[in-house]
Amino acid sequence: MRTLDIIARASRSIRQAKARTLLTSLAIGVGAFTITLALAAGAGGRQYAQDIISANTNTRELRVTQKQNFDASKPQKYAGENTQVFGNGLSFKQLSQRDLDAIAKLPQVASVAPIYSLNVQYATRAGQDKYHAQVIAFDGNITQEYLAGGAATKPASTVISEGYREALGFTSNQAAIGQSINLVVKQAGANSPQPVTKTFAIKVSGVYKSSSLSFTNSSSIQVTGDLAKEIYTYNQQGTPSYGLFMGAYVFADSSDVTDQVKQSISSKGFEVQTAKDLMSTIFQFINVLQGILLGFGVLAVLTSVFGIINTQYISVLERTQQIGLMKALGMRRRDVGRLFKFEAAWIGFLGGAIGAGVAIAAGTFANPLITKALALGTGTNLLIFEPLSVVAIIVGLMLVSVGAGILPARKAAKLDPIEALRTE
Amino acid sequence: MIEVRGVTKTYGKKQNKFVALDQINFTIPDGASVAILGKSGSGKSTLMHAMSGLDRPEVGEILVDGIDILKLKQKAVDTFRAKKIGFIFQSFFVQANETVVDNVSLPLEVADVPRAERTKRIDAALESVELTDKRKSKAKNLSGGQKQRLAIARAIVNQPRIIFADEPTGNLDSATGEKVEDMLFGYNRNNGVTLIIVTHDADLAEKCDILINIKDGKVASIIDNKHQPVTPMHTIRKIQL
Repeated sequence: MRTLDIIARASRSIRQAKARTLLTSLAIGVGAFTITLALAAGAGGRQYAQDIISANTNTRELRVTQKQNFDASKPQKYAGENTQVFGNGLSFKQLSQRDLDAIAKLPQVASVAPIYSLNVQYATRAGQDKYHAQVIAFDGNITQEYLAGGAATKPASTVISEGYREALGFTSNQAAIGQSINLVVKQAGANSPQPVTKTFAIKVSGVYKSSSLSFTNSSSIQVTGDLAKEIYTYNQQGTPSYGLFMGAYVFADSSDVTDQVKQSISSKGFEVQTAKDLMSTIFQFINVLQGILLGFGVLAVLTSVFGIINTQYISVLERTQQIGLMKALGMRRRDVGRLFKFEAAWIGFLGGAIGAGVAIAAGTFANPLITKALALGTGTNLLIFEPLSVVAIIVGLMLVSVGAGILPARKAAKLDPIEALRTE
Repeated sequence: MIEVRGVTKTYGKKQNKFVALDQINFTIPDGASVAILGKSGSGKSTLMHAMSGLDRPEVGEILVDGIDILKLKQKAVDTFRAKKIGFIFQSFFVQANETVVDNVSLPLEVADVPRAERTKRIDAALESVELTDKRKSKAKNLSGGQKQRLAIARAIVNQPRIIFADEPTGNLDSATGEKVEDMLFGYNRNNGVTLIIVTHDADLAEKCDILINIKDGKVASIIDNKHQPVTPMHTIRKIQL
């Protein structure tokens, strides 16, 4: 018998037992729903992570810190002056200028820039209120969208967020460009009862759009590396932590040699993280979450397998006489078996299509809500449905159903036509 | 030509041994109408199953056109049934939820007849049983007589060489039964198809060319209606038992 004819007969049988088919399909549909969502969340999560990382990192860039020892259970060996000791026996080793120099001498290292911790008292502007200033070093490698102006190139220039632009009383983004703002810095090392401060006047070169994908997001004042150093020096000189850094950004000559540079810095005893490492850490996390969700889906599918076996057994019993007739007419055992396997495949297809369909509908509806609730920024979808994986789910569930249908199909194939035709 | 030689079928073992068919011998020429007559439990149905390849007696030979179907492999027996045999049952066995066309189409699909050819044959078969106007109806909406005519259409659609009819009129009133009988005999005469009717109805059996009487698994007598009564076979054996 031709496969197409068997499939057509199978689909007719399925349609004749609508309620039963639908109910059995729904069980497998629950699995399809969960698996589809798990894969969509995984794909969306990875996409989101990738967007964040590519917006914030450069493939040439390596983040270097000291190897840390966070074991607070027993006293730690004295690790030198550049260790900041917190309570509870915790300590954080910092990088010294000497470390940076040593790294800079390594082959294929283009530049080394320390990460300054910038303590600015407040930011203000003539005739405006004072605001807490979150000041960070401007990084040309981070892609950000400018609403007006552009990157900070001159030493005393700055890029500010739209939030600071508003707070500092500029009527529009364009109006802020070229205007001066003041950063007031306290000299922490000054041995005086009165606070000693200095005002750094800087010109706004650009206003950037706060991006949900950016680590430095919401609101910051970005100053050039030179100015950052100046602020840091003024602020920290004379304190014990002067000349010590939390970490440093190292740039490799090209992105091809990033891994080699990582090797050589790492062999010096430092902790090195590249953009790739960051990505794989986040991906691993996402994959574990996705795996857990997938596990639930697989469990649901496993449960539905018994439903399919049961349904198909009942179907075989109900249609004993029909099977007998088909066999009497010369239908082969194999074809009888295939008829029931195809019916099982139909159930799997229906379940997969219903489950995946509902998941896609629900996901499409939920995507904007999730984005809003988690403030991910417009255009971000945490659930991404890949057509290929949806097709794979449906095909996979069809195969599972066929597998579940093997036993009932075998029973049908083995039926003795004489016995079957005696049933009335 | 169908030759049945020494066919014996037993069920059970030792003390429970039951002989359903005991040394059956006869020959049916092509195009004949044959009645296998017997009471219920006489073994007539078992004989039909054996002759159509559904059952496999362990002893004897059943030669159809010179080929012993008892020696064929399962696949070959299936093909033999699909290509050469048509069945009609007492309780019709039509698929209630399927349309008339789908019911008739089944043997053609089983026999791998190409799609284009199927439509032609289905139309011809439905016309000969006068069901053309019911082609799209569900089988469950047909009357008993129509169902049996549908079964006839299904039996003849693949142009078989032999048609087995197991109590074809058993579930029908006499008027409807007569119409079905006329159709069967008409098809038998006009197409030269061998018609084998299994029945306990002597009146129906009388209408056949050859009448094979089965009693307790043995051939009690064979009567050739067209010529003269044939000497009963195995009467001697029967007396001995």
